[in-house]
Order: sequence, then structure tokens, then C-alpha cells
Amino acid sequence: MSRVVFDRITKHFGEVVAVDDLSLEIHDQEFLVLLGPSGCGKSTALRIVAGLEDPTRGTVIIGDRVVNNIEAKNRDIAMVFQDYALYPHMSVYDNMAFSMRMRHVHRQERHRRVLEAAHTLGLETLLKRKPAELSGGQRQRVALGRAIVRQPCVFLMDEPLSNLDAKLRVQTRRELIKLHRRLQTTFIYVTHDQVEAMTMGERIAILKDGTLHQVDRPQDVYDRPANVFVASFIGSPPMNFFQAELQGEGDHLVARSDGVEAHLSAAQSQALAKLSTPKVTFGVRPEHIVVGDAAAGPDQCMLNTIVDTVESLGAEQQVTFSVGDNTIQARLDPSPALREGEQVLLMFASHRLHFFDPETGLRIEDK
Amino acid sequence: MPRLPVVGLLGRGLTQIKNLGFGLLFLWPSIILFSLFVFYPLIKSVYLGFYESDPLGNQGDFVGLDQYRSVLGGSDFRHSLWVTFQFTVYTVVPGIVLGLGLAMLANQKLPGISIFRTIFASTVATSVAVASMMWLTLLNPTTGLVTWLLDQAGQPRLNLLNDPDWALPAVSLTTIWLNLGLATIVFLAGLQSIPERLYESARIDGASRLGTFLHVTLPMLSPTLLFVTVIGMILAFESFGQIHILTRGGPLDATTVIVYSIYLEAFQRFDYGVAAVQAVGLFVLVLGLTGLQLRFLERRVFYQ
Repeated sequence: MSRVVFDRITKHFGEVVAVDDLSLEIHDQEFLVLLGPSGCGKSTALRIVAGLEDPTRGTVIIGDRVVNNIEAKNRDIAMVFQDYALYPHMSVYDNMAFSMRMRHVHRQERHRRVLEAAHTLGLETLLKRKPAELSGGQRQRVALGRAIVRQPCVFLMDEPLSNLDAKLRVQTRRELIKLHRRLQTTFIYVTHDQVEAMTMGERIAILKDGTLHQVDRPQDVYDRPANVFVASFIGSPPMNFFQAELQGEGDHLVARSDGVEAHLSAAQSQALAKLSTPKVTFGVRPEHIVVGDAAAGPDQCMLNTIVDTVESLGAEQQVTFSVGDNTIQARLDPSPALREGEQVLLMFASHRLHFFDPETGLRIEDK
Repeated sequence: MPRLPVVGLLGRGLTQIKNLGFGLLFLWPSIILFSLFVFYPLIKSVYLGFYESDPLGNQGDFVGLDQYRSVLGGSDFRHSLWVTFQFTVYTVVPGIVLGLGLAMLANQKLPGISIFRTIFASTVATSVAVASMMWLTLLNPTTGLVTWLLDQAGQPRLNLLNDPDWALPAVSLTTIWLNLGLATIVFLAGLQSIPERLYESARIDGASRLGTFLHVTLPMLSPTLLFVTVIGMILAFESFGQIHILTRGGPLDATTVIVYSIYLEAFQRFDYGVAAVQAVGLFVLVLGLTGLQLRFLERRVFYQ
């Protein structure tokens, strides 16, 4: 059993609240990603599990043990640091063997485990080198190897890919997924990169300003963001938001914003009818917007826009439109190619809309 | 060690000569300074060593290598060599241990630690004369603090600076104190350049305090250790002021290190020939030692 539980963890650094009342259970053998912008407290949370920081309040549980008062070295965890923190004066072999030496693991067993990890990670030919003689990707592997030989219950990773170039990052992402599958151990992975979170995490926990905003499977986070922050943080380019007034029209509601009119379905109308004021924030993702045509059905929202900027990516074009004072971002088919300044009719289906309470920012379920 | 590129003048054409010209242009101030104060005295010393001096200090007869042979092979030189060796061991080893210890204390993250850092480093700003006078007072056989401490401990009084067995340790103590600030500053800088992540990594890896010190701190400090050792030895070899003020090389030549012996020969006995030979001997000795240090210690040093 190697579940990890944060039970109402709070961490202060002087006046700064780095982690604020965080409760979260990471299941045995799960790959959980802690995701958030820089300074959101995700690294602090990880360091609390590692035992490198003591929580101001709350309990940390690893397996069935409360570990608050247990030294880092006795927590049965291994950590991969962002800058790898390899011992620069030791060879690759010694770096990987160091923790076992400190724990008086028998020499032969040490040797066996180092060779095994080196084999897994393709480091066999590099064992005698010093970290300075390795490339960034190789150092990253050594850092992983150093963690693997420990055979820990929980792997902690603090942005381990952020020092790699884009291509290597994609490759290493896949290797980490495979590694997790092979080791069958709990992984807690900290990143600010939503692509890493989406591709690797079995669940994603999204933090901001020390508070947990949502924990869910990646697709659920994407499809049903818990609040405006999550909706805007996940997805690139981010979701477009509109502040709208609600008006009744027959037995349905219509959300009217600057230049947009959304006719809502019965279910949506019902959900929004519970709001205390006739105001709502609604959002639509850039990929759900298409260039409109006159033959659109009644469930389509139409808006007249002017093309602001066009970024052609080959497979698609990312276009910014202006609607009154608002800007809207859309991911469109590369053809027809749009020109800046052109007037375009855009549309999106009303069932694609996400609704949020304008007061609290919380999602309003409409299903 | 940076290796100086050897300028190959042969068969490299104009560019090389032009580069050399440029190089000399940048180098001439130091070439002049070094020539005046290092190269000329060095050559002159070697030259003087070939001549005897008359009792008035004038250059006497040419004796060739005879003077080198008799002085460097003589018991006086061997004695001062032995004193210098002892003095070096007495000052360098404790200097490193204490300097590293103080630097580790000063490296703690505590409120007001900068006050202690300043205190620990303060001997850098103390001149040899001031330090010597201070220790002369402390070691004074009737009114000094050391005497008082011995009295308190019920031990017999010691006149440290006049005791042939204690004079060298007492002078060494002053020297350690004097050089401690520098060692502390250098070690502190070395400690602060070790990334915090390595210590965290060692913590998770299960290293004890001692293990962390032996396997992380010391190896990461090895360039600093080499530097402090070399500087400490150089300082020991060229120590003069404290010996001059505290003991004048006595009692019974117990504190006559080579440099002081050179001073005595040259400026008390006006025997420039003998002094020159000793100076050349010291030069060769320091050159050899530095070569050995670079050759053997360098290998064990890890540079990032």
C-alpha cells in the first residue's frame, strides 16, 4: 500500500501561505499530476510529502503511516529534482549507488540494482562518466535511475522535464508513462505544463494560490472544468468567456452578451433558472468555434467579428477576432485562409457552452 | 589550472607576430612591475650567491657554487628549514580545521548571523603588527590572560615566548588567529556555492550528518581546500612580522624560520651572500612544493 494522503495541509512561509488547507488522496499506484501556475504551492506540497518541509498544520500519510514526524530518509520515497541535483563529483554509477551505500545495502545487491536500472534507462555505457560529461537528457535519466534503484513506494517528481528541449520532452514523457506502468508505484508529478499533465496524469490536481481547485481525470478536467480558473488554465489557446444577461424567451432562456446571443436548451435553461441574479458567465473553447454559414440551425450561436491576427500552424490556423471590446480566439481549419481585417461570421453550438456563476466563478452543471 | 598557450613564433606568419604584439601591449605594465620587483631581485639573488660578503656588507670574492654548497648543506639552514616545516604544519592544519568549522557555523541560516560572519572574518582587517601586539599582551608572563588562565587552572606560570619549547607554538597561535579570517571567508564562500538541492538529495538518500559532510560537503569544497592549503603554506613561508615582533627568531633560534634567517643574515649580520643563497633555497623549495601540490592534490580536486 503506498497511497499518499494530504489531510488539511497548510504551509506558511512567514506571511505567505504557500499551501492552504489542502486535502487530497493519491491512490496506490496512481500517476497523479499536481498542476498549477508558478507559485501555486505545488512544489511545496511535494516537498511536504518528501519531508523537506514541515507542514504548518495538517497530516501527511504515506501508506498507513502518518509521516509528519518521520525523517525524509525513512519515508520510503524517492525524488527527482528539476535540476536533477546529481552529485557532480561522483560518477553516474556512484550517483545511483549512493543512497544504497548510505543504507548499507550489500555491495553485490547494489551492483545488481545499479546495472538493472542502467539497463532500463540505457545508461550502461555512461556509468563511469561524471554528470558534467552528460547531456541534459542523460542527466535526467541518471536522476531517474537514482530514484529507481531505491525501489521506493512513492516517486516524487518536481518538474523533471522542464530543462529538456521540446523533442526530448515528448520522448521522455512517453518513457515516464511506460516506467510507471512497469514499476507499478505511486507517482506524484509536479508541473506547470498542461500538456505534461494531460498526457501523463491518471488524475490531475489543479492548484492556485495554495488551494486545490479540481482533481479529476484529464478528460473530465477538460470537459467539465470546476471553475473559471480551471477552464482558462487548461486548454491552449484558453477558453473564451462572455459575461451575459439571461432573458426568458418562451420556455427557454437566452444568454445575451456583446454581439452574441445564445439560445439555451431546456436542460441548460433549467439549470440556470436557479441563479439568484439573471447573469451568467459562459465560455466556449477555441476549437468549438467554426466559420458560420447562413444555413445554421437555431441551436447555433452566431456572432459578427473582425479578424485581428492570424497564426497559421499548418494543420490549423489560430485566429484572434474582435467583437466589440472583447477578443475571441478560435482554432480553425487552414482553409479558407483568413486575412486580417476581414469580417467573418462565427458560430458555435450552444451545447458546447460552459456556464459559470459570475459571483463565485463555479461551474453550473447543465447535464 | 589554466594553461598558458605557448606562442609559437615559428612558421605561423604575420598574424601570430601581430597577436604577440597585441599581447605585449596589454602586458607591458605587469612586465615592468614584475621585472623591477621580481625578476631583477631574483636574478640578482642568484648572482649574489656566487660572491662572499665582507664584514661591511660589500660584495667580496667570487666563490662560485661553494657558498651554495656550504650554506644549503649547513646545520643553520637545516635548522631553519625544520622550524619552517613545523611552523607550516602548526599553522596550516589547525587553520583549515578552525576556518572550516567557523565557516560552517557562519553558514547557518539564523537571525543576526551576519554579525558573526563579520566577527569571524574580522582578522582579515587586522594588520600583522596589531595582531602581534595583541598577542604579546595576552601572552605576557605577568599580566597576560594566558597567565591568568594558567593560574586559575592551578598550573605553573609559563613564559611562552621565552621558552624554546613553547615559543614556536605561541607564534603559530598568533599566525593561526591572524589567518583565520581569510580561511573562514574563503570556506564560507565555498560552502555557499554548494547548491541546497544536493543537501536535500542527500537527506532523501539517507545520508547522516557525517555522511553528508564526508560525501557532499568535503568533495564539493575540494577546490577551496586546495586553495586554502596553498595560500596557508605561502603565508607560513613568508611570515615575518609576527616573528619579528614576538620573538625575533629566538629563544635559541627556536622561531627562526627561513625568511627570518634571511633577514638576520642580510640586515643584522650584513652577509648578503649567505642571505641570497638562503633566499634562492627558499625559492626553489616553494617552487618545488607548489609543483608537487598542483601535481598530486590537483588530481584529487573536483572542479565543477
